[in-house]
Amino acid sequence: MGVMRIGHISIKVMDLAAAVKHYENVIGMKTTHIDAQGNVYLKCWDEWDKFSLILTPSEQAGMHHVAYKVEHDADLDVLKKRIEQYGIKTSMLDEQALPFVGRMLTFNLPSGHEMRLYAKKEYVGTAVGALNPDPWPDDLRGAGAHWLDHCLLMCEMNPEKGINKVAENTTFMMEVLDFYLSEQVMVGPDQNIQAATWLFRSSTPHDIAFVAGPRQGLHHFAFFLDSWHDVLKAADIMAKNKVRIDVAPTRHGITRGETIYFFDPSGNRNETFAGLGYLAQPDRPVTTWGEEFLGRAIFYHTGELNAAFTEVYT
Amino acid sequence: MRLLQTGETYVCNSDESLLQGMAKIGKKGIPVGCLNGGCGVCKIVIRSGSVTKTGAMSRAHISEQEETQGVVLACRVAPSADVELEVIGHMKKMLMRSQCVEMP
Repeated sequence: MGVMRIGHISIKVMDLAAAVKHYENVIGMKTTHIDAQGNVYLKCWDEWDKFSLILTPSEQAGMHHVAYKVEHDADLDVLKKRIEQYGIKTSMLDEQALPFVGRMLTFNLPSGHEMRLYAKKEYVGTAVGALNPDPWPDDLRGAGAHWLDHCLLMCEMNPEKGINKVAENTTFMMEVLDFYLSEQVMVGPDQNIQAATWLFRSSTPHDIAFVAGPRQGLHHFAFFLDSWHDVLKAADIMAKNKVRIDVAPTRHGITRGETIYFFDPSGNRNETFAGLGYLAQPDRPVTTWGEEFLGRAIFYHTGELNAAFTEVYT
Repeated sequence: MRLLQTGETYVCNSDESLLQGMAKIGKKGIPVGCLNGGCGVCKIVIRSGSVTKTGAMSRAHISEQEETQGVVLACRVAPSADVELEVIGHMKKMLMRSQCVEMP
């Protein structure tokens, strides 16, 4: 029971047409619905539910909410009780409050980010179907991403004021939503301040991550690719489309992921992420990175953090 | 283009952003962020001259009032005449830091 995986992310975009073009032609998603308010819903070819991304026209960039799918509808009642007992207010949105989605439990993480949980979303199937499927479909565009993989949220940290929303979120996710910690960055003179965490419910190294910053925000959301070669091809696609690349293909020490960071036309950071890293299991020892290894933890080859990694986000 | 706080000048074509032009100075501390008007790290104020807006700028970083006073994101404006500008916010912090102390 409980949370299975990331289900969708709803983001704000300042130029809807440019955003749709980016997520279709560069990421390789397909538009599956446009609602009466003009919000656009898209999915990747290997996803079976109706959508994993919602683009909402706005005067600013950033995240509206992130949603995780739970296994059973009854889980929503159990988790509602647990979240409220923890001291966080929730509300239950009616079925169809979002098109094609069942009732949704909505609340704010200690960091202030809006999170939603749901059990039902319309099933449409992957692009290759479930009966005697081919390994991939013929009409892939762009990077041909398989699925929305995870998101990284920036959380306020101010040690002088005693604020550490990374640690608060991590405790909440583990104690209330039964997430497991795979990796963490510990900083400070005594290396006892939890400045970044990676957590999972599936069997991959992270379904969500939290990193400390001056204010809350969206650092990035990532799409899964199969191999290092697919990462290279994705970078080619970005160059062809003159996408602003933040970090060219490299590997993360944390999660071992093979990666590219880049920006959508509103400045929201995307990642294409390949490699399963390792089998994440509840009893796997937690990997800890010290402050002096932070550069290599984030960008394994150069070992150097670029300033934009922690300062540029929406 | 003239950066008033440091007196530095640079050439910027009308088909490139003030940030792209400034990046050509090759100076440490010029914060090149998302380049798409969303992250807000390249905030500047236009003191003289004129610019053309090339795309949306996040209202989380540039309010309507600020925009009327010439506060813009350098990645989202191109010059239509000679421009004098000042860096503010994050960009000022970054540029002035590299101006005073060359970090090792």
